[in-house]
Amino acid sequence: MADHAVAAHAVHDPNIGNTGLDHRKMGMWIFLGSDCMFFGSLIGTYLSYKGKSLSGPGPHDVFNIPLTSYSAALLLASSLFMVLALARLQEHRVKAAALWLFLTAAAGLHFVLNQVYEFTTFALHEGLRLSTNLFGSTFFVLTGFHGAHVTGGVLWLTILMVLALRGRLDHRDYTKVEIAGLYWHFVDIVWIAIFAVIYLIP
Amino acid sequence: MAESHAAAVAHSGGHASIRTYINVAVALTILTTLEVASLYIPGIPNWLLVTALIVMAGLKFFLVVGFFMHLRYDSSVMRALFVGPLFIAILIILALMALFSAFILLPHHVL
Amino acid sequence: MATQAAFMPGTEAAKRQSVLWSWLTTVDHKRIGILYGTSAFIFFLIGGIEAVIMRLQLARPDNTLVSAQTFNELFTMHGTTMIFLAVMPLSASFFNYMIPLMIGARDVAFPRLNALSYWIFLAGALFLNSSWLLGMAPDGGWFGYANLSSDQFSPAMNIDFWMLGLQILGFSSMLAGFNFIVTIINMRAPGMTLMRMPVFIWMSFVTQFLLVLAFPAITVGLILLMFDRFFGTLFYMPSAGGDPLLWQHLFWIFGHPEVYILILPAMGIVSEVLPTFARKPLFGAPFVIFSGITIGFLGFGVWSHHMFAVGMGPVADSAFSIATMLIAVPTGVKILNWIATLWGGSLRFKTPLYFSLGFIAMFTMGGLSGVMHASPPVDLQQTDSYFVVAHFHYVLFGGSIFGLFSGIYYWWPKINGRLLDERLGLWHFWLMLIGFNVTFFPQHFLGLIGMPRRIYTYAPDLGWNFWNMVSTIGALIIVLSFLIFIVNVIKTIRSGTVAGPDPWDGRTLEWSIPSPPPVYNFAIEPVVHDRDEFWLQKYGDGHGGKPATRPRAATAQDIAAIHMPAPSYWPILLALAVAFMISGLLVSMYQVIAGGLLTLIFMYKFAMEHHRPAPGHGH
Repeated sequence: MADHAVAAHAVHDPNIGNTGLDHRKMGMWIFLGSDCMFFGSLIGTYLSYKGKSLSGPGPHDVFNIPLTSYSAALLLASSLFMVLALARLQEHRVKAAALWLFLTAAAGLHFVLNQVYEFTTFALHEGLRLSTNLFGSTFFVLTGFHGAHVTGGVLWLTILMVLALRGRLDHRDYTKVEIAGLYWHFVDIVWIAIFAVIYLIP
Repeated sequence: MAESHAAAVAHSGGHASIRTYINVAVALTILTTLEVASLYIPGIPNWLLVTALIVMAGLKFFLVVGFFMHLRYDSSVMRALFVGPLFIAILIILALMALFSAFILLPHHVL
Repeated sequence: MATQAAFMPGTEAAKRQSVLWSWLTTVDHKRIGILYGTSAFIFFLIGGIEAVIMRLQLARPDNTLVSAQTFNELFTMHGTTMIFLAVMPLSASFFNYMIPLMIGARDVAFPRLNALSYWIFLAGALFLNSSWLLGMAPDGGWFGYANLSSDQFSPAMNIDFWMLGLQILGFSSMLAGFNFIVTIINMRAPGMTLMRMPVFIWMSFVTQFLLVLAFPAITVGLILLMFDRFFGTLFYMPSAGGDPLLWQHLFWIFGHPEVYILILPAMGIVSEVLPTFARKPLFGAPFVIFSGITIGFLGFGVWSHHMFAVGMGPVADSAFSIATMLIAVPTGVKILNWIATLWGGSLRFKTPLYFSLGFIAMFTMGGLSGVMHASPPVDLQQTDSYFVVAHFHYVLFGGSIFGLFSGIYYWWPKINGRLLDERLGLWHFWLMLIGFNVTFFPQHFLGLIGMPRRIYTYAPDLGWNFWNMVSTIGALIIVLSFLIFIVNVIKTIRSGTVAGPDPWDGRTLEWSIPSPPPVYNFAIEPVVHDRDEFWLQKYGDGHGGKPATRPRAATAQDIAAIHMPAPSYWPILLALAVAFMISGLLVSMYQVIAGGLLTLIFMYKFAMEHHRPAPGHGH
């Protein structure tokens, strides 16, 4: 560790620690680690109960793979949009960054709307609800909490976009936008896992 | 301003270019297409399908984490803070599945 | 920015208001530590009263002091209170007060998040205990086994208070965990490498990881329970193919790391007290550190040793049995290192040392009964009997509580500026040690002669009468010992001996600053060369190597250059919104929605509080 001069300090950034790393970025990574345990418990529950419903529709009776694949592609694309937003922000192009933030949020919102469509189709046309069988319980709670995470992310990104358009966000806020991005990508990778393990694996 | 200096410091470990991001996005698209397509391969044995899907999902996972989330270029502290808990979470999933006999229902998986 | 009410300056009302306001809006980790400690102690007394009532009921066979239903509520609330509202926040008070001081920092990484964590804790604690006032305290045990907890078998709201209360408390713990992980990694003073961190910091560090990784499992378990109770899901419903064991697994995946959360901080305290009062460095400090890390990691792999009687089968039983026996190894390593620290040391027998010695002896006894439980065939007799009650009280009371009291007597002079009375401290220690053993040692016998847990009374011809009476007498001795502690606090808080910065000739950085510390802790940021940096500064390394060197005296300029974070009312407001939202689940969906909206709005305000204003707006 470098020996810091012990006389009067230059004003330093309170967000940067003595390691040179940003507190907020570090905090977001450990939060995401914790969220891995959260989704791990939910996915573990789903997989432990898979195939054990006593009655009612099962996954392969109701899943709409084309729609779900499209949703998966939406989230992956939104992750690309997010890194483009960050890149523009770093280049001091705030309006362009706001546009990419908008596209990220829009893709996320589209994903959520697809989920709503899927849920209502299951509930109204396939006879699959929370209380129908183990599949209904585990599926809706797992994907529902993922959808709630996405919704929170859409809100966060929208707020950042509005702040940018109002001149209250610029390249100086890179880290704030970066940590929103980390959260957003995490929500994407949880979907990568859910898509493979819940929808695709027989 | 202190923050832009800080941003530069935080990224001193290297940076992916827009080109790299596009490449990663293309790779993700290809992998997703392959994933969905493998469902429709006639007569594919179950163990092969499951393995292939897990491998492809895993690759997508690491591409997003490594490049989009920048973890490849970041300090090992950030890596440790995420990978450790991820590892424990995967172990918990596998343990729960084993305890609930989920593996017995899948052919060709011996506990 | 926080604003102050416009009172006439200089009036008594203005002074009173601003003191209260300063506490409600504080972001100072030291004040937050005091808030946690005071709250914890009050809930500790409440949990103690719950215990005493149970012991009075069990003193005699066929007793009628309380009904079976009330007894169920008492043991549920006693366990839940002691774990979540007493031991954990007592540990949290030390994390808050001492971590920045011991790493040479002026604050934590996220001061407002830290305050938020406290207010959410308090909201959860009050929410949980409000159930007493409504006559529907939780009654399903502190572990809430399904499917007793289902709305079929527990239709009233008792379980809901427990379920939602724990969720609120869980958020508090996780937020604190994120804060301290970043603080410890990122805010250590220059020169303080990880291996130069004091062992208390290391044990706290491992504990924070356990908090953020274990709580999500119970969060999920509680969410599944909530969905079963409120929305008709089938997670724990055998009739639909659901398995009540899913609850047990999720609960204990949290619950076992939780017991290490309860013990590691106390182990960290002991690791500081012993070297100080033996005037010797901690023996084998790297081994103690690595043992702590190993315990933390292995602690995630032993949870089903709480489930040996549920029929998991020989493979699962064996796997968890082996892992549980393995975890005794790093624990034993620590105990041997503590003893080796004392060996050959120049011992000064002060109250903190007595409590740490008590910790070693009592925790070892609890560990021995624990190792017995690690064997499934043996555990089949012991499980759900008073033998287990004896075991966990030896490790949690004999261990955690004794360790925490060691910390209280040790760090009290730093926090308060005055020493606690030594004589009263020793009375407290000896009475508590005797009372504790009289209460809990006989419970080993009761367990082995067949007395089950969680029964509100027993027949007179079972042979349990004598030891139950003895155990109750012990409980009353414990009460007496706490009264002595309270007298000690009252007697010395304003008029005790002034402590000065370093009353114990300490080894670590917190003793190098005034007692109590100024709001900025260190006028000059320390530079660290050793785990026992302050000892090194005072005495050199004793081998003719590093001489004693103290940092230069601080000047007014140094102090003027320090910027501390401003107080804020958003933490307490956000905590209230969260509590309003969650308690709404017991009232009406409108309250949940309103609370949810408020939570979102206050989160935004919290996040934006220190953001730049819009251009063109003055500040």
